[in-house]
Amino acid sequence: MRETKRFDRRQFLGALTWGIGALISAGLGIPAVAYVIGPALQRKEAQDWIRIGSTTKVELGTPTLFKARVTRRAGWIENEEELSAYVRTDNGRDFIAMSNICTHLGCRVRWVSGEQKFFCPCHNGVFDKDGNVLAGPPPRALDRFEIKVEDEQLFILGG
Amino acid sequence: MAARVSEWLDERLGWRKVWEAIFLRKVPKTNWYYTLGSAALFLAVNQIVTGILLTIYYVPTPDHAYDSVQFITGQVPAGWLIRGLHHWGASAMVILVGLHMLRVIVHGSYKYPREVTWFTGVFLLLAVIGFGFTGYLLPWDQKAFWATIVGTRIAAVTPLIGDWILRVMRGGDELSAVTLARFFGVHVWVLPAALLSLILVHLYLVIRIGISALPKRGE
Repeated sequence: MRETKRFDRRQFLGALTWGIGALISAGLGIPAVAYVIGPALQRKEAQDWIRIGSTTKVELGTPTLFKARVTRRAGWIENEEELSAYVRTDNGRDFIAMSNICTHLGCRVRWVSGEQKFFCPCHNGVFDKDGNVLAGPPPRALDRFEIKVEDEQLFILGG
Repeated sequence: MAARVSEWLDERLGWRKVWEAIFLRKVPKTNWYYTLGSAALFLAVNQIVTGILLTIYYVPTPDHAYDSVQFITGQVPAGWLIRGLHHWGASAMVILVGLHMLRVIVHGSYKYPREVTWFTGVFLLLAVIGFGFTGYLLPWDQKAFWATIVGTRIAAVTPLIGDWILRVMRGGDELSAVTLARFFGVHVWVLPAALLSLILVHLYLVIRIGISALPKRGE
């Protein structure tokens, strides 16, 4: 009596074809996924101390807006961008630097000296002079920059 | 489970009949040269997949074309692989369709009743050459630029309408941003549409008529 063949030549070649097809698909598919999501996963480049201006420009107790030009790389393009920060000091020695980007959805906040508050024009977010949320949808206080003073010049850490 | 799903789907789509017609059809005894068409089809799929991936980063303007290609090759993970597959696949494609055509000529497979298959094949060859010509300009390096200067000048040798052809190809007198943009448009929209439609007809005819048997002496 002839034993029934479990795996004949035809089945073997069929399986081989599927196997090679799967290998080729994976060989192209896995790099393709890395290719598409790769640039999104790249960490930001190292941060630098950026000179934003003289300490004498900061009025005591009033957040003052400083702007600096920074170069950023996006893909193959290098852009000059503006980096803005509100700097505040109460005693002329200790400084804090706050981002002017609203923590809600990224609009620019503005200091209104009559009210002594930061206002965001987009969705009525309100922050106090230290950047803490007073009203509106922002989920957290304004982001802070690290700041240092050298020779009467203000530097913030950014990039 | 898998059997029940395929049963459920077959009842609604009738895919098994299609599968049998394409993959389980009877073929005459042939040789390895008969696989050249399938190899070209495989490469076409490779070119489509890698080509779609390249458009994710490539920008067809003189300001950005070269830099975006360098970015793909040097910065994007596996970008060198995707671009390399598209680059070498393109050359292999031209060679393979050439060999495929020779096979058809040598075996006389273009004869009745396969004339229409042959004609669609001729247009497929033209489409592949069109892909090669338009794709060559897209990296926008020196080689691309001067090859296209030369290529369009060759077209300009055509009697009577040569100058007109050159202007239409370049989108003006000079090779410019307009040329790059139209070559890109032809490469990613016009030719793929033509290629896919022609492949569809070509394959339909191959399956409907069946492939030719090896000719015998004295036939």
